[in-house]
Amino acid sequence: MASKKTNQSKETEENSSSRRDFIKKSGLLTALAFTPPSLVMASENKWDEKIAEYLETVPLSIEVNGKKHNLNIEPRTTLLDLLREQLHLTGTKKGCDHGQCGACTVHVNGTRILSCLTLATMQQNAQVTTIEGLSKGKKLHPMQEAFIKHDGFQCGYCTPGQIMSGIACIKEGHANSREEIREYMSGNICRCGAYHNIVDAITEVKEGGMLS
Amino acid sequence: MSKTSNINRVDGFAKVTGSATYSAEYKTDGVVYACLVGSTIAKGKIKSIDTKKAEWAPGVLAVITHLNVDKPSGYQKAKDKHNFGQPLQIFKDDSILYYDQPIALVIADTFERMQYAASLIKADYFKEEHSTELKKAADKEKKVETDKGNDYHRGEHDGYKNAEVVLETEYTIPTEVHNPMELANIIAKWEGNKPILYTKSQGVEGTRRSVAGVFDVPAEDVEVHAEYVGGAFGMGLHTWPYEIAALIGAKKLNRPVKLVLHREQMFTNVGFRPYTIQKMGLGATKDGKLTGLTHEAVAMTSSYEDFMEGTVNMSRFIYDCANVSTRYRIVPLDTCTPIWMRGPGEATGSFALECAMDEMAYKLDLDPIEFRKRNYAEKDLEQNKPWSSKYLLECYEGGMERIGWKNRKNKPGSVREGEWLVGYGMGTGTFGCYRSPTSVKAKFSADGNLILQCSVNDMGPGTATMMTAIGAEIMGMPVENVIIEMGKSGLPKGPTQGGSATTSSVGSAVHDSCNLLVSKILGLANETPTFKGIPIADLTFANGLISSKNNSKTVSLASLLASNKLEDFAVEKQSKGNEEARKYSIYSFSVHFVKVLVNPNIGKIRLAHVVSCADIGTVISQKTSAGQMFGGAVGGIGMGLMEALEIDHRFGRPINNNFADYHVPVNADIEKQEVFFVNKKDPISNPMGTKGLGETALVGMAPAIANAVFNATGKRVRDLPITLDKIIETAKV
Amino acid sequence: MKNFQIIKALSPNSAVSSINKENSAMFIAGGTNLVDLMKKNIAAPDKLVDITSLDLKKIEFLSGKVSIGALAKNSQVAEDKAIKEKHPLLALALAAGASQQIRHMATVGGNMLQRTRCSYFYNTDMPCNKRVPKSGCGAIGGSNRMSAIFGASESCIAVHPSDMCVALAALDATVLVEGPKGKRQIKFTDFHRLPGNTPEKDNTLLDKELITSIEIPDNNFNKNVHYLKVRDRTSYAFALVSVTAALDIQNNTISSARLAMGGVAHKPWRLTEAEEFLKGKTVSETTFRQAANLAMKGAKSYGDNDFKLTLGPNAIVEALTIASSK
Repeated sequence: MASKKTNQSKETEENSSSRRDFIKKSGLLTALAFTPPSLVMASENKWDEKIAEYLETVPLSIEVNGKKHNLNIEPRTTLLDLLREQLHLTGTKKGCDHGQCGACTVHVNGTRILSCLTLATMQQNAQVTTIEGLSKGKKLHPMQEAFIKHDGFQCGYCTPGQIMSGIACIKEGHANSREEIREYMSGNICRCGAYHNIVDAITEVKEGGMLS
Repeated sequence: MSKTSNINRVDGFAKVTGSATYSAEYKTDGVVYACLVGSTIAKGKIKSIDTKKAEWAPGVLAVITHLNVDKPSGYQKAKDKHNFGQPLQIFKDDSILYYDQPIALVIADTFERMQYAASLIKADYFKEEHSTELKKAADKEKKVETDKGNDYHRGEHDGYKNAEVVLETEYTIPTEVHNPMELANIIAKWEGNKPILYTKSQGVEGTRRSVAGVFDVPAEDVEVHAEYVGGAFGMGLHTWPYEIAALIGAKKLNRPVKLVLHREQMFTNVGFRPYTIQKMGLGATKDGKLTGLTHEAVAMTSSYEDFMEGTVNMSRFIYDCANVSTRYRIVPLDTCTPIWMRGPGEATGSFALECAMDEMAYKLDLDPIEFRKRNYAEKDLEQNKPWSSKYLLECYEGGMERIGWKNRKNKPGSVREGEWLVGYGMGTGTFGCYRSPTSVKAKFSADGNLILQCSVNDMGPGTATMMTAIGAEIMGMPVENVIIEMGKSGLPKGPTQGGSATTSSVGSAVHDSCNLLVSKILGLANETPTFKGIPIADLTFANGLISSKNNSKTVSLASLLASNKLEDFAVEKQSKGNEEARKYSIYSFSVHFVKVLVNPNIGKIRLAHVVSCADIGTVISQKTSAGQMFGGAVGGIGMGLMEALEIDHRFGRPINNNFADYHVPVNADIEKQEVFFVNKKDPISNPMGTKGLGETALVGMAPAIANAVFNATGKRVRDLPITLDKIIETAKV
Repeated sequence: MKNFQIIKALSPNSAVSSINKENSAMFIAGGTNLVDLMKKNIAAPDKLVDITSLDLKKIEFLSGKVSIGALAKNSQVAEDKAIKEKHPLLALALAAGASQQIRHMATVGGNMLQRTRCSYFYNTDMPCNKRVPKSGCGAIGGSNRMSAIFGASESCIAVHPSDMCVALAALDATVLVEGPKGKRQIKFTDFHRLPGNTPEKDNTLLDKELITSIEIPDNNFNKNVHYLKVRDRTSYAFALVSVTAALDIQNNTISSARLAMGGVAHKPWRLTEAEEFLKGKTVSETTFRQAANLAMKGAKSYGDNDFKLTLGPNAIVEALTIASSK
């Protein structure tokens, strides 16, 4: 019984020392000048985590699909994970998380970018448009209509990224030929291989002048 | 062509608006985040594993390893290893069987904290010598101990050797990885002893059975959701260790756990098309009649499961040849187990066979299509059965015309367009038509909709669209009024999506259940005063109306239901193949044609034109079928030109396990693509006369490219992929 | 990724001074490479200094040169009308890099500072002297299809992956930097370095220095130029070999030439000897082939990349041929 207790307190000590390390790193120690006993208590009640959570987050004001969000986020949160995990806008997809597939393409202030390589905290006051922000209820964006008409997808997973990219491709002036579309859509991988139909869809929207 | 054959994909709206919900996207209260930490060695044992730092990291809820895991009760019941379908039992003990094998599960309250904590886990190992290179492990070669693993001989063994003209060649395909865009992902939770999974599966019922086995619970207690699957191409045919890990974590914490593999782990933990070495022996008469064909394949498997696929099968029946021998061997290596990848077996086999056919055509100085026509198989000599239908010649003709085959010259390098060398090539593909028992419930609701229910899922080929088209056609109603409920357990049992069997299986069940529903409705109508005395055969049902001949009397279904005090009207029927079908050999056929432009100075290969032709019986849905054919061709282009998982065998680790270094085709690689379907009904396969498309859509593309590259350059590349270093021309100056 | 502090710098000077306080602090702009490296724990700064608010985004045509701010986006430069007209080589090289989404994010300064794409650098289970000094070079004796054929060492055979930098090396650009000790200029061809036995250092930037702009002197290379990028697929892939070729042709005679290669060395590989050779020669395939052979002097391959010894000169001839026929 006694030895068990000893083990336990040893573990608590190790535990607290590690948590202390963590707190030190998070700048908490200097801020609050904890004494060791209170640290143990803080550790047991996970106060340190709660305080750390507060100290390690930064405020972010961001507009997504016309809706303003005031949030506290960790600086390491990417725009993609913010959208998917915190705002539950799962239309923007994670395909590689390293800027190698284009599934996470969104528009920030009107420009297509990869949300997986974007730290959300660096998008203060930005206007973000995701796939969810294109349609107005049942009324689809012309590019969404064209993707359905030309069957520009199969499994649908790369589709939001393709559509966001396709719209930008036209607006940037890079949809003047099938060849140019192919090149400027090459940052969006479609493993189902719907490229032919994707180019058809973008060509139709471009030629129809459906985007100004 | 039927009215419903050119409909739009019915899940299109959900997919273009981002509202289609894939596995890890279900909003789940209290969900926590998990990931797997992998081993850094390819073989050995874990000496020690330091999880303390991770456990103490902020937000961490659990770190599970083999040391502290509550082992699933089904682990003990598992049979001896080496049977396929006995996958790695995650966290079972300290042994390491492949690089990146999961050694720890880290669960934390947020995604970011989980990721960071996982980076703090360090393990030490007792390393053992690993073996990951097929070419250096020939001594471990063995037969697969099942009927399918047996050698096959027709006529004289290796009869090709006695022919007038003999060809002996060897072909290699590297490991290729499915890499669907959606990562393998799951949300796992428990309700008491009942596991609930939102997971990336190609077969809801299969996942239920696997999970039931691992956790020793009845399959009926396992709830599986896979309503949207972001591609899989075969990797979703297994229940993988990551899914079991998530369930173990969810059970321990009694909370829902979300686990998404990293893209890197998609290369190491969820199967692949196995590295395969193939030897071909072809014998022919001088005037181009095949007299002997031997096809041998040696493929890798894992050390803990004997995986096999039908690599050599196509060689047994696709051509008319009296003497055929096939042998298939596997070699266990220290990797994860392979799993069928689109066009499994045949895609690999057709590369060897169709390249060899091209090489033999050159030896005989024959046009490659002429050579194939001279060896056209009028019946299936392997099974000694007639074909149910075969429009392969129509595929040849359709492709030749579209690609401009007449511009092809047999002599390599003799056609130019500006600076480019021009080459034409083709490759034949085939895949068996299978059909498995499937139940569909067809229900008419009072609001005039037809609801079709089946647990089968739609990972992209357009299963829901196919079901809609068939249902709407039979019921004579607009496609907008057909509602599909699929991809989850609890619905009438559907098949696993694979082997090109979905339309044949599920489509038939929709067909049969809808017809049954119509006859029941007419039967019910026949009981009413309006139609009393009129033979049922003289009643029809369309557009929600029951009508007698000449429309003299009409009753709406809604009023029929109301008068019978019914809110809806439903039938459920299981549908399966009949004995008649056993008398026939039922295959789909495809032929890919390519025109390549090659710049030999820098090794650039452009696919200037790709024409993909197929005899798949009836085409139910033109758009989604064409999409599948386009996509299969693109998959084959990846196989032909760029895909290869590279292993540094010194470490047994892959070195290009990411999307920047493992190349798959991008939009710019696909210049001009066409699809041609013969679209003639198969009289035997199933009520609709379909034969299956998804697999054969890829089979034959890689050899078509290799053959075209030879035609353009005179360089015969027998090891895929055909990267520029293999064709680059040394300077003449 | 470990958590970190992030602060926004309001001037180059404050950026430099705020990074100066912490050892593991780093500047961040587009983030396309740094965030990736942080996700893999290859970079693990305690603090990031966000420099995106600095006024370093302008493209300005000054007397005798153009100045491009370090924070100008890759797409912004690639699509700038005046750049396309006066320095088409730069625009072509930029447009060949990455994807449009990444070009919209990535900055000129960041492009210069991107790390190698060598697989051994990225896979943290592998040895790599660049990532972990003294851990060995995995690529030597391993998989080295992408690796260098020029200027490599026993410590490292990695290549610099940038397309833009190959053009800037050819165009005699200058890099303007600001650091704790003030401002200075670095010749572009001296900016990136060879690995030697310290491959962990990619360039000659001193500790805490910030790139503020690059300058390209005016030139006559606005017509006969080409950027040839040879890669494993048609787009969105790193170069196996790339060539920038710029010719000033008068009456079928080359009055001056610029030639540089990418994907072959730890830095953009300027081919001055071949340039000199081309000067005064008439345009012909033989001339180009001779120049290419000169350019390949001293090339050395490592197995998987043996093909670069053939591809390299062929790509040079190809690029020169296309450039001369424009």
